Amino acid sequence: MFEARLSQGSLLKKLLEAIKELVTDANFDCNETGIALQAMDNSHVALVSLLLRSEGFHPYRCDRGFSLGVNLNSLSKILKCAGNDDIITLKADDNSADSLSLCFESPSNERVSEYELKLMDIDQEHLSIPETDYDATIIMSSAEFQRICRDLMVISESVSVDVAKDAVVFSAEGEMGSGSVKLKQNPSVDKPEEQVVIELNTSVSLQFSLKYLMNFTKGTPLSDQVMLGLSENMPLLVEYKMDDAGYIRFYLAPKIGEE
Amino acid sequence: MGIHGLIKVIGDHSPNAIRHNEIKNYFGRKVAIDASMSIYQFLIAVRQQDGQQLTTESGETTSHLMGIFYRTIRMVEHGLKPCYVFDGKPPTLKSGELAKRLSRRKEANVNLEEAQELGDAADIDKFLRRTVKVTPEHNSECKKLLSLMGIPYVEAPCEAEAQCAVMARDGKVYAAASEDMDTLTFSSPILLRHLTFSEARKLPIDEIHLSKVLGSLDFTMNQFIDLCILLGCDYCDSIKGIGPHRAVELIKKHKSIEGIIKNLDAKKYPIPEDWKFEEARELFLNPEVLDPKEIELKWKEPDIEGTVEYLVREKGFSEDRVRKGIDKLEKNFKIATQGRLDSFFTTLPSDPKVPSKRKNEGEKAKSTVSRPKAKRGRPRK
Repeated sequence: MFEARLSQGSLLKKLLEAIKELVTDANFDCNETGIALQAMDNSHVALVSLLLRSEGFHPYRCDRGFSLGVNLNSLSKILKCAGNDDIITLKADDNSADSLSLCFESPSNERVSEYELKLMDIDQEHLSIPETDYDATIIMSSAEFQRICRDLMVISESVSVDVAKDAVVFSAEGEMGSGSVKLKQNPSVDKPEEQVVIELNTSVSLQFSLKYLMNFTKGTPLSDQVMLGLSENMPLLVEYKMDDAGYIRFYLAPKIGEE
Repeated sequence: MGIHGLIKVIGDHSPNAIRHNEIKNYFGRKVAIDASMSIYQFLIAVRQQDGQQLTTESGETTSHLMGIFYRTIRMVEHGLKPCYVFDGKPPTLKSGELAKRLSRRKEANVNLEEAQELGDAADIDKFLRRTVKVTPEHNSECKKLLSLMGIPYVEAPCEAEAQCAVMARDGKVYAAASEDMDTLTFSSPILLRHLTFSEARKLPIDEIHLSKVLGSLDFTMNQFIDLCILLGCDYCDSIKGIGPHRAVELIKKHKSIEGIIKNLDAKKYPIPEDWKFEEARELFLNPEVLDPKEIELKWKEPDIEGTVEYLVREKGFSEDRVRKGIDKLEKNFKIATQGRLDSFFTTLPSDPKVPSKRKNEGEKAKSTVSRPKAKRGRPRK
C-alpha cells in the first residue's frame, strides 16, 4: 500500500511545471524514505533529479519499494484541477499498480475531488551521479537567475559563466552584439533576495545552452534561492531546495569548443 | 540488396532494438554514411517534376551532387558530423548478385525502349529508374564536392557498409548510416536508417542496436550471421522454402547452418549446390577493411569560392542557393558543440533497486498484446 498526503498541494503543482517541459515520461520511484525521480531529456543533454522526502508528507506510507511510470503531461493536467491551497493525497496499490489515484481536498474540506491516472511501463536509463566537490558554487536569488537567463537569451543561444573570487559574470555574444551581467559577492543577511554567496576553489569558465537553462528556471517558484555548482569540463548543477521537503536538481552538459 | 526481411524479423522478435529518433537529437554525433547507397538513392529520388533527373545544360546528371550537397548541409545544420564511405572493388562472392542486378538493368532497358515506343509516361518513368547505376564518375564528382565542403570521406577497399561497421565498432564514429541491413551483419553496434532521406518525407530515423537484437533473439554473433545468410544475403544463395520465421526457429534449434544441414530433410528443402555459406560467413566476420585506427577524420572549413566555382559555373546550380547552403556549413563549423551527460555520468544497469516483478508483468503484457511498433512507454493496460 502506498499513500502520501501533502498538505501543501501547490508544491506538487509547481514541481510538475518545472519538469514537464524537459521530460515527457518518467518513473516516480517510491520507498520508505520518500519519492524520487530521475530522468533525462531525449537528447541526453539535461537531467532532472528530484526528491520528495517522506517527512514532507503527513502521513506517508510505503510498505515496499516500487515505481510509478507516469506521463508527466497528463499528471500535470490533472494537477491543474487542484486548487492552490488544496491538500493532495496520492494513493496506489504497490503490488499491481496500473493507476495512481489523486485526491484533492479544499482547505475547508467542503470540496473533495478524485482522479485516476493510468500508469505506464517506462524503460529508462539510470545514471549514477557522483558526489562532486564543485570548483565553484554560487547561491543567489532564483528570480535574479531567471532574469539573467531571460535577458541574455535576447543576445544568443548560449551563455558563458565565468566565476572569479568575488564575482560571477554571465555573458553572451551573438550576431547583433553582446551582453553581460556581473554579480558581486554580497553576503547580506537581512535581504536574502539580494544575497550572492560565492565559494571558490579554482576559477571556472564554462559555456551552456540558454534554452535549457530557461527550462530549468521553471523551478523558480519552488524556492527563493538557487544554487549553481560548476566545475571545469563537468555538467552544471542547478539546485532548488524546498526547505525540508526535498529538492529538485537539474544537470546540464556544457558546450564543448573545438576538439 | 542487404538481408531479405531482416528488418521484419527484428521488428517481430526484438522491437526494443529499434528506436525512432529525430535528426536533431544526433547533434555532435559522428556518423559514417554508406556513400554508394546514398548516391544511388539520390539518383533515384532527386528528380524534376516531370520525373527527369536533374542535369546541366549539356545533359550531365547532377541529381547526386544536389543530394550530397543539401542532405549533408541538413545534417551539419543539426550538428551532426557526417563522413562518407565509398565502395571499393566488390568481393568475388558478390559476382552472382551483381550479375543478377546487371541482367535486371538490361531487362529494364529493353522494357524502357518498349515503353518509349508506346509512349506510356508512367512506364517510362518506372523503367528509367530501374536503369539507374552509380558510375565511377558519379563517385568521383561526389568526392570532389565533399572535399570542397570540408567533409571527410573514406575509400573502403571493399564493401562500404563493412567499413562503416568497423568504424562504428571501433568508436571512430557513433553509428553507421545505411539503408542496407547487412551493416548489422558486419557487426555495427548501431545502425541508422533514413538519415539521408529528404526532410519533406518526415520519416523518423530508425536507430537499431545490434546488442539488443542479439539479446532478445538470444543469439551469438555467429548465429546471427547464419540467420542473415538463411534470410538471403548478397554473397550466396539461401535454402529455398525457408522463410524468416523458419530461419529463426531453425537457428534456435540447431545453432548453426552446419547443424541445420545435418538435420534438415534434404528432399523437402534442397541445399543449394556448391553452397558457399562458409565463405559468406567468413566475409561477414572478417571483411576486407581499412584499420579504423589509421583513418583520420577531419572536418574542415568549407572552401566557399571553390564550391561556388564547381557547382555554379561547372554544374549550373543557382549561385544564391549554393552560397546560402555553404554559409550554413561555415556557421556550424564554428559554434561549440553541445556536450552530452552520458559522457560524464555512467549509466546504471536498468532498474537496480526496483523488484523485477512488474517488469515481468510488462513482458507478459507485451507478448499477449501484439503491438505493431515498440513505443518507449507502453500503457500498462
